[in-house]
Amino acid sequence: MNPMTLNKYQLVIMADDKQVVLERILQVTRYRGFLINAMNAEVNTGNNVATITMTVSSERPISLLVDQINKLIDIKGVKVDNSEVQIQQYSA
Amino acid sequence: MTESKTLTGSSLLFEVLKDHGVQHVFGYPGGAIMPIYDALYDSDVKHFLCRHEQGAAFSAVGYARAAGTVGVCFATSGPGATNLITGLADALADSIPVVAITGQVPTVAMGSDAFQEIDIFGLSLACTKHSFQVTDINELEKVLHQAFEIALEGRHGPVLVDIPKDIQLAEVTQRLDKLSHLRNKVKLPLADISKALDLLTHAKQPILYVGGGVGMANAVEEVREFAEKTGMPSVSTLKGLGAINPDNENYLGMLGMHGTKAANIAVQESDLLVVVGARFDDRVTGKLDEFAPNAKVIHFDIDTAEINKRRTADAAILGDLKGNLPLLTTDLEISVWQQRLQQMKTDFAWRYDHPGDNIFAPAVLKTVSDLMPSNTCVTTDVGQHQMWAAQHMAFNDPSNFLTSAGMGTMGFGLPAAIGAQISRPHDTVIAVSGDGSIMMNIQELATIKRYQIPVKIVLIDNAKLGMVRQWQDLFFDGRLSETDLSDNPDFVMLSRAFDIKSQKITKKSEIKAAVEEMLDHDGPYLLQVQIDAAENVWPLVPPNTANDKMMEGV
Repeated sequence: MNPMTLNKYQLVIMADDKQVVLERILQVTRYRGFLINAMNAEVNTGNNVATITMTVSSERPISLLVDQINKLIDIKGVKVDNSEVQIQQYSA
Repeated sequence: MTESKTLTGSSLLFEVLKDHGVQHVFGYPGGAIMPIYDALYDSDVKHFLCRHEQGAAFSAVGYARAAGTVGVCFATSGPGATNLITGLADALADSIPVVAITGQVPTVAMGSDAFQEIDIFGLSLACTKHSFQVTDINELEKVLHQAFEIALEGRHGPVLVDIPKDIQLAEVTQRLDKLSHLRNKVKLPLADISKALDLLTHAKQPILYVGGGVGMANAVEEVREFAEKTGMPSVSTLKGLGAINPDNENYLGMLGMHGTKAANIAVQESDLLVVVGARFDDRVTGKLDEFAPNAKVIHFDIDTAEINKRRTADAAILGDLKGNLPLLTTDLEISVWQQRLQQMKTDFAWRYDHPGDNIFAPAVLKTVSDLMPSNTCVTTDVGQHQMWAAQHMAFNDPSNFLTSAGMGTMGFGLPAAIGAQISRPHDTVIAVSGDGSIMMNIQELATIKRYQIPVKIVLIDNAKLGMVRQWQDLFFDGRLSETDLSDNPDFVMLSRAFDIKSQKITKKSEIKAAVEEMLDHDGPYLLQVQIDAAENVWPLVPPNTANDKMMEGV
């Protein structure tokens, strides 16, 4: 069993309120090596702006995910909560 | 004041294609895209019927890369759309601007598991820069304009637009607006220029590390001028080949897994890497922790996400390379370094004096390179022949060497050559392929036949999946698993079935005359070159190894 140190971050994402925007964010988050621990999404509200709050964890630096989410065409901006928490996970 | 008009979604598509200067598209019809093919009947756009949607996607990629424009492909719903995916993934990995139009089942049938229905919009998320599904005819015009803008904005990439059949048939009033629909997402500071200049002026052993972004930024001239004025020794990635003048005395060739010995040693010993439009790909760096261990890094890129992704930059310069690189031009005192590397380049130069009568693949590719007209466009497939082409052929522009670099897609070369030839009808186009790769999209010989496309094919034939066989020999104890292709078809006979002139050569004495005959022939031509099945690509940096610990033959 190898201990793995994961850093935990909270992201606030503002996006154009397109039906597919959640799928895009989820796909990028998984592919870039981040676990989603919690998520709240206000989407399809009719006001053209979607707000997604996510708690993610990974061994990787959060800038990797932020840069990739920011590249998505529908994204208006990503903010990171700076209060980083370290958690330990064990994997075989 | 422009005049608006009412037309169907399908006709509107061709109006927008015309707006964006699209003259040629590649595709394959089917049920859910029939209204678009009906509108094509009245359109000025020239459509090339490929024999598989993957061929259409790669032809669009080849077209885009050879001409520096957007490539367009069409496919129907379901299997037609899924067959595009490999081509789109290839375009994403190599940042190629492609717009793919797919038909979809009617909106009322969507989500009902209808005939030839697949969620291509969902499937596209991981293999496109962006994608759209149009469910409101009033959105179609804006979406189509956006697709072209997104494909070309910032770092280029593929965009898919999925159009249900009822939207293709619906009527709409064209707005005829060509306003930009994108907000400018690229907010790129130049804050690190002074820091970069400081790093540069203190460097004793700098290397210019050139990637595929140079060609796409249309910055070949600026990069060459920078290399000439500073005298900085340079190396290239696979996709950057052609950006640096191959005759530049300080140019050391390709770096990385199959790079030149001089290039890899120089990078390992450098104290500064000036990285232009490159991304520290794993095939370039070898063991990342040991890549250029003493070098500071100045990283120029258009994509913020590439900065610090695999190697921390000491100075990052984001934005338009064409405008930014000249800001770094300065005098350098590096003559000792230059002379040392020039000597290394001479000492480790390629040799073509292979013993025996058999054909040495590097020698035949060197001959093709020496004899081909100056603005020839070469495509490759993937494998040993690809690396030999990269090592032994010379290119005077990145748009003259089209290879599947990031995705490494076998089957790329032949359809990409078709696209390249359509976009540049007056230039010679040569597809260098292998006997494994060519069979991946062999059906495109029918496209060549139908349109009499004068592509030349150099088929390097070792009756093996050569690169996999090489790795099995080197790293899997010689356990040759599923890499024997000795039951290949007769390629000369196969070519003739498609009315393509062909010849097979087996001896080195036949090379020059055969290459000359191929190049002199007016139409398509296939030259099958039989090589020794045991031939390997050298040098080779083994996996997870530093680049200066390369194997040079066993």
